[in-house]
Amino acid sequence: MKGDTPVNSTMMSVGQARKLVEQLKIEASFCRIKVSKAAADLMAYCDAHSCDDPLISPVPISENPYREKKFFCALL
Amino acid sequence: MGEMEELRKEMENLKDQITAARKTFQDSTLQEAAAGVTVVGRVQLKTRKTLRGHLAKIYAMHWGTDSTLCVSASQDGKLIVWDTITTNKVNAIPLKSSWVMTCAYAPSGNLVACGGLDNMCSIYNLKGKDGNVKVMRELAAHTGYLSCCRFLSDTEIITSSGDCTCVLWDIETGTQKTVFAGHQGDAMSLGVSPDFKFFISGACDFTAKLWDIREAECRQTFGGHESDINAIGFFPNGNAVITGSDDATCKLYDLRADQELLTYQDSSIMCGVTSLAPSKSGRLLLAGHDDFNVNIWDMLKAERVGVLAGHDNRVSCIGVSTDGMACCTGSWDSFLKIWN
Repeated sequence: MKGDTPVNSTMMSVGQARKLVEQLKIEASFCRIKVSKAAADLMAYCDAHSCDDPLISPVPISENPYREKKFFCALL
Repeated sequence: MGEMEELRKEMENLKDQITAARKTFQDSTLQEAAAGVTVVGRVQLKTRKTLRGHLAKIYAMHWGTDSTLCVSASQDGKLIVWDTITTNKVNAIPLKSSWVMTCAYAPSGNLVACGGLDNMCSIYNLKGKDGNVKVMRELAAHTGYLSCCRFLSDTEIITSSGDCTCVLWDIETGTQKTVFAGHQGDAMSLGVSPDFKFFISGACDFTAKLWDIREAECRQTFGGHESDINAIGFFPNGNAVITGSDDATCKLYDLRADQELLTYQDSSIMCGVTSLAPSKSGRLLLAGHDDFNVNIWDMLKAERVGVLAGHDNRVSCIGVSTDGMACCTGSWDSFLKIWN
């Protein structure tokens, strides 16, 4: 895993090394799920929420709070 | 063998174990799974509002949860709270230190926070009794610059710092509740999970880390980037993390599969990513770059589907409002723009 070894690993203390080993043990014991399931869940989420996503399914301009508002004045 | 030698060996073994374990769960790729999905149509957003008022580079912005107000921080030494619909400045808060690098809006709308080269996180009460906005707390303990901050509530905030740590603070007492140490480079950015139980941090050690806030431990570490991670965010359902790096790419990591799913890159994009935000459904990824543009990606297909070009300098910050209605960009050109 690039980048997660200290650049100055020769300067690492025994204490720091012990902590790193403990941390790696925690990460190694992680309970993973299959990528196929993870991917399917992400796709399902996008699918379920795309119609509610105004940047994908734009709302009509009349419902857009950022629409240019034109003010009409009537001369009485 | 000395203890150091043994520990180094153990480290290498554990790293190999993790790599192997991740591979055994890689029964497919997101690319394969999404092969049958049609790319999202070209996304063309228009600038609806330009927020003018800052006199120097804007470094950060954050939407309020009401999807109307937002706060921005500039090195002109001001925090400005904007009504993005009317473009009015609701508050213009002068800062003690103008070297601000981050700002945040509390979910309640009552508080804002900022910090930077002063190594402190300053909390401001927007709803003080006499109407004046004052510093409520100065959270000081970091030994490096404040790169990012995010409120959990009106009483707790998380900060990331150039001193390589992230900290959970008790705002009432001004003290550190938990120090999250582990990154081996400046912590540049953080994001809080939708259920407020976890946060993620991206750092100059090229990794992203997932932290359990209450257990006070790092659960997972994600590598793969070839340079500093400047920006990080959760996918809207909290199950995945997106990172943006100086290596000009963004990456999607799934938390439950514990691995990278996709890289968003293009040979024509050579400038580092400064900021990122997913759209409300997670289908779009908006990424701000040093080259003054924002690239819009179809997150499932890793194809670029749009560009926001409108700033005259680096896009330093970006955010999509909670209701997903608009995207706000902030730039070194001193302007914020609202797009949809």
